[in-house]
Amino acid sequence: MSIFLRQLGLAGGLLLGSVAAYAQPSTYPRNGVYDQRPGLYAFTHATIFTDYKTRLTDATLVIRDGRVEAVGTGVKIPAGAVVTDLKGHFIYPGFVDLYASYGLPEVKAPERQGRRSGPQFESQKTGAYDWNQAIHPETSAAELFKVNDEQADMYRRLGFGAVLTQQADGIARGTAALVTLNTARKEQEVVLADRAAAAFSFDKGTSPQDYPSSLMGSIALLRQTYLDADWNQRNPTKEQNLSLRAFNQQRQLPQIFDVRDKQSALRADKVGDEFGVQYILKGRGDEYQRLSDIQATKAPLIVSLNFPDAYNVDDVYDASRISLEELKHWEMAPANAAMLAKAGVPFVLSAADLKDKKKFLPNLKKAIQYGLSEEQALRALTATPAELLKQQNQVGSLKAGMVANFLVCSNRLFADDNVLLDNWVQGQRYQLSTVPTDYRGVYTLKIGTQPELKMLVAGKPEAPEMRIVLAPKDTVRGTLSVNGELATIVYNPTPKTKGTAVRLGGFYTPETRLFQGDGQLADASQVKWSAQRQEEATRAARRDSAKAPEPVQLGQLQYPFVAFGRAQVPQQETVVIKNATVWTSDAAGKLENTDVLLQNGKIAKVGKNLAVPKGGRSIDGTGKHLTPGIIDEHSHIAISEGVNEGTQAVTSEVRVSDVVDAEDIDVYRDLAGGVVASQLLHGSANPIGGQSALIKLRWGMTAEQMKIEGAPGFIKFALGENVKQSNWGELNVLRFPQTRMGVEQVFVDAFTRAKEYEQEWKSWNKLSKGKQKKGETPRRDLELEALVEILNQQRFITCHSYVQSEINMLLNTADRMGFKVNTFTHILEGYKVADKMKAHGVNASTFSDWWAYKNEVRDAIPYNAAIMHDAGLNVAINSDDAEMSRRLNQEAAKTVKYGGLSEEEALKLVTINPAKMLHLDKNMGSIKEGKDADVVLWNDHPLSVYAHAERTFVDGRQMFDVESDARMRQEVEKERLRIVQKMLDAKKAGAPTQGATAKANKHFHCDTMGEEKELDN
Amino acid sequence: MKNILFSLALLAATPALAQVPTPAPAQSKPVLLVGGTLHVGNGTVVPDAAVAFDKGRITYAGAQSGFSQDKSTYEVVDVKGQEIYPGLILPNTTLGLTEVEAIRATVDEREVGMLNPNVRALIAYNTDSDIIPTVRTNGVLLAQVTPRGGMLSGQSSIVQLDAWNWQDAVVKTDDGLHLNWPPMVLKLNPTEDATAVEKREKARQQQLRDLEQLLSEASVYRALPAGRRENLRLSALNGLFDGSKTLFIHADYGKEIIEGVRFAKRLGVQKVTVIGARDAWMMLDFLKQNDVAVVLSRIHALPRRSGDDYDLPYKLPSLLQQAGVRFCLDYEGDQETAGSRNLAFIAGTAAGHGLTKEQALTAVTLSPARIMGVDKDYGSLEAGKSATLVVSSGDLLDMRTNNVTHAFIDGRAFNMTNKQTYLNQKFRGKYGMKN
Repeated sequence: MSIFLRQLGLAGGLLLGSVAAYAQPSTYPRNGVYDQRPGLYAFTHATIFTDYKTRLTDATLVIRDGRVEAVGTGVKIPAGAVVTDLKGHFIYPGFVDLYASYGLPEVKAPERQGRRSGPQFESQKTGAYDWNQAIHPETSAAELFKVNDEQADMYRRLGFGAVLTQQADGIARGTAALVTLNTARKEQEVVLADRAAAAFSFDKGTSPQDYPSSLMGSIALLRQTYLDADWNQRNPTKEQNLSLRAFNQQRQLPQIFDVRDKQSALRADKVGDEFGVQYILKGRGDEYQRLSDIQATKAPLIVSLNFPDAYNVDDVYDASRISLEELKHWEMAPANAAMLAKAGVPFVLSAADLKDKKKFLPNLKKAIQYGLSEEQALRALTATPAELLKQQNQVGSLKAGMVANFLVCSNRLFADDNVLLDNWVQGQRYQLSTVPTDYRGVYTLKIGTQPELKMLVAGKPEAPEMRIVLAPKDTVRGTLSVNGELATIVYNPTPKTKGTAVRLGGFYTPETRLFQGDGQLADASQVKWSAQRQEEATRAARRDSAKAPEPVQLGQLQYPFVAFGRAQVPQQETVVIKNATVWTSDAAGKLENTDVLLQNGKIAKVGKNLAVPKGGRSIDGTGKHLTPGIIDEHSHIAISEGVNEGTQAVTSEVRVSDVVDAEDIDVYRDLAGGVVASQLLHGSANPIGGQSALIKLRWGMTAEQMKIEGAPGFIKFALGENVKQSNWGELNVLRFPQTRMGVEQVFVDAFTRAKEYEQEWKSWNKLSKGKQKKGETPRRDLELEALVEILNQQRFITCHSYVQSEINMLLNTADRMGFKVNTFTHILEGYKVADKMKAHGVNASTFSDWWAYKNEVRDAIPYNAAIMHDAGLNVAINSDDAEMSRRLNQEAAKTVKYGGLSEEEALKLVTINPAKMLHLDKNMGSIKEGKDADVVLWNDHPLSVYAHAERTFVDGRQMFDVESDARMRQEVEKERLRIVQKMLDAKKAGAPTQGATAKANKHFHCDTMGEEKELDN
Repeated sequence: MKNILFSLALLAATPALAQVPTPAPAQSKPVLLVGGTLHVGNGTVVPDAAVAFDKGRITYAGAQSGFSQDKSTYEVVDVKGQEIYPGLILPNTTLGLTEVEAIRATVDEREVGMLNPNVRALIAYNTDSDIIPTVRTNGVLLAQVTPRGGMLSGQSSIVQLDAWNWQDAVVKTDDGLHLNWPPMVLKLNPTEDATAVEKREKARQQQLRDLEQLLSEASVYRALPAGRRENLRLSALNGLFDGSKTLFIHADYGKEIIEGVRFAKRLGVQKVTVIGARDAWMMLDFLKQNDVAVVLSRIHALPRRSGDDYDLPYKLPSLLQQAGVRFCLDYEGDQETAGSRNLAFIAGTAAGHGLTKEQALTAVTLSPARIMGVDKDYGSLEAGKSATLVVSSGDLLDMRTNNVTHAFIDGRAFNMTNKQTYLNQKFRGKYGMKN
């Protein structure tokens, strides 16, 4: 065997010396003598996998000039072929990675400056391109591509023969190119497909332009780009927009979408559904956490084998900073691929995101150890990526005519002792390693005239460990190093004494299994020596020191995948709460000793002595209080990656409903405070902000499932200091408006445009088909569409507001422009203009007692809610704060203290009143037969500081209760400890670790920009 | 000229009626509160009590049955059915230093530089703040006015909340120094990598060395004979070594608390108190064994880690109580000046999560008085102490019932109106609503 290998090695050397043979494409002139060779090779007697599932034994592969000429068992070897006998060896198709930036210039991200430097509203890019610098579909990887030896070598060592390379920057990133990792040819030959795919993400990347600054802004920008591209195609004379043209030209290509996590995977797929695109989603490796929803997208996935390192959990205090989801993800990430495979989700495996690409193969093995079959793994590295790119006739398998990308292995690809010998790329051999000669065994060592000694060689073939037996039970360690066939042995027969080492030098003769040569003893005498192998190492000694991996034990999946998630979302129950004090927030008032039946998600009955239906249970409410679930009219919890798209004065196109974060622990915390529903509002950084999401706190469900069915559309407007950027520092003095005068004009202008827009479409829709064909289709504008919905009372305004002048202004502007203001939120000077608000019919949602944090709240008073209430307005108390939202009952109680509201009226401020202003009161906000079973059982008077929510029901599901909370606390602790122990073991076993990271605080307020934390509201 | 214009503008913008009320004159006549339930502040509750005070001092506080003096010499106030409490004490606050957070000109809480031990909060304390009257009408009568920023922010002082000027207001001058312990847990921006952690850790170590040097030099400096070259920074630290001033170490993370306290003790600081201490639950034994008092910062807060018990901040006082750690409660955080009128409800929340109501009351009365060294005069209602107290028609700690009907600072019945009650009346009047 070793002889054969040596020959192979020699052949390899010759080949490497002939690199110049393919150095230039045929169109190139040549300096010197032409040297075109046929590149004709035959590989015989190999076990060949022509694709991931077809195995041929004793087969032959013939390649010519970088392509496969023939493969099979009865293949005739053409004349002139260099023949290599690969008996006992395996050939596999080369791997294909669909997510790489190989050979592309690095895109340098400038420091994201945002509001700390001046704003940049417009694109600074030269040329007739898109208005937004994050939209650059015109970028072509093939145009920027340059063969790169170092990167190619790195990928080839992992088994890849071709990669799809893209410039991973921006939202519409441009086209990706399929290239081989051959570095002996020029770019023109290495590129297999210059426009192999189009690439996208939600991350604006290095674009220095302000817009978009949030995830919801990115989504809106992408949606608008689809519409603009469509419009541009239908009206080609309107704009010579090279970006939109490129966008249209790449619609037919495979579309690859890079997302940050599983929730954004679902978001991207939703955008795809809207525009008839099935994206290939490149995720973060957390897809298993929402497997069924990921599966439902039908999207193929690019799965990164980037598994997190274990955390350093030695220190108890520092370990406490690592979240349960981080711990669990560490444990389960290697099982992601197996779970996807089991669910039948099509996917490919990628080395993307691995900072150290060397981890790819170990991680691949780990994925297999965690349940991925070898066939599935091979398929995900060869056939599937080829099919997704529609390049299955070029790469991904070995058939005549295909690119000659293949791997030569010493064993089955995924066998433990397999060695990747050669990676042939486009007919070019790249030697990765050789099979090390196995020297292990028992030798007889003769040194000069000394008595014979036994020499034992064990360990791994590539790292032999040597010992000398001086006497029975007396062995010393030594070193045996063999380089090529030259050998050096050093050992010290008396290891406790210094300066007594024996040094032997010489060579190895494989045929006779003999080491021999000259040596020098400690006394400087020269000797001849030899070591003759007598027997092979025993099986036990030969076995590599790596132990058989222990069977994989994984924790439970939970929804959401964070602390206090559950294996299952609580079921809808039939339950009677008996003998409670029931605060109905309805005409029925407060009912003592009353029973309430929840059934099928509804309040089925309110009365006395209700029977418990079959299959139901009862809860003793004696001495307790049952209230409608609290509704927070103004919340910023459960929002992913930015609450403000404040980069333009009008951003009605952005939608919080696109970025609901179903995994925010604040949802659970709010449930523990008796909250059942929230309006997730856009921030207040601009006069016309984004559209709201109305959610119920369905902890454990997906973002889509949390949204309230049939809820009307809402939108955030804002006035005052935030929108005029008063407190943003001296650099932010450019965006219009900077005064309350300007704010008014923004509204007048926006609604003027909206009306014209509506008219334009109305006229267009009236035209006959024929006339429409000749005319210019109006452009669909998401921003104006939302405003038209407001004009048509299909969308309702929640307007952030403080001082009376601006409140008055918006009421007047609304009357003038023909729209209604549904709600003023914060509205701290509402008490000054309560009469005008009443006349307009607006609702008021305010803070209980906030004031003095900025100039416009100097006149805020805690009596505001009571005065507005007494003036006949529908008033709510809101939180705008993830902490206060869990004490909204207490905030409502303050209106009794400040302003003398009755206790029942006070409770209404957080139940039926917000339900009314959100147009949800038909089903929510009070305890009334037929309404949703959203109720809270309190241990004490619900307005008291001493009251706790003991149980919170949402749609008849007990989403929070103190008993299961207590149980889950223990479970969280136990689960943490279990994984921590596992991590300690992993660390001990030599796994790399990372320190605990400090998670940035993600609690948003109205004027939080980007993801930074801001203090005031 | 600029200043004159500014003043004129200010005059024009501020209606005369919105001025803070006139401070009350010294107590001129003995007062006797009878019939209420007395909450002494030390855990004792006395039903049907009598509280008598004269010239600002309590002469009697106990059961009405035990009050034997002639009532006719007193101005008798019947508070039957009401609750009598010591005035609440607000530790660690920027009340009076910051009027409107967003307006720089009204913010006087943060001096430039890292080491400012000589800076004194007291002299910036603005008795004419519109906010103060809204805080005291909810029962908060004393405050520890505290500077922020840098590492050594400066010195705090204790003031009472009804005064003409800061000299008039002060109860204890320069009671302690405030040290913001450099945080161990460093937040990384998304663009930063591990090298940034190293860099910051290096900077942190440098800060600690600077601090150590300052304290070591100060401990030697104080022993120098008269005629030494005056150094304001060093002499400001004197009190730490003779126990006349407390070192308040602001730290939240468990390990920071240990590190900070050990550091201070090693350098010879006599009195150490920890402020913030949001992770005090990790360090109960340490705090107890070292007898370190804790000022727990606003417990109306979210848990610091996503997997923490949702009510961990709420129940933290009871964990400290059970462990026998001395503690009191503050309101530091966003909107802390305007929000500090909710101090009683902070205590209420603690009472809703494991403390008894009287323990919770102690945590905002006698306990802060002790921790700040003013308990000889304040913090509980006992004969000989200052008559600084509030009467509420219901449970003071519950917003549902909190309703202060009478309040006295050093026996002075101060004006219970404020800018907000004025605006309330004005606009209820506009709409013809009952006031």
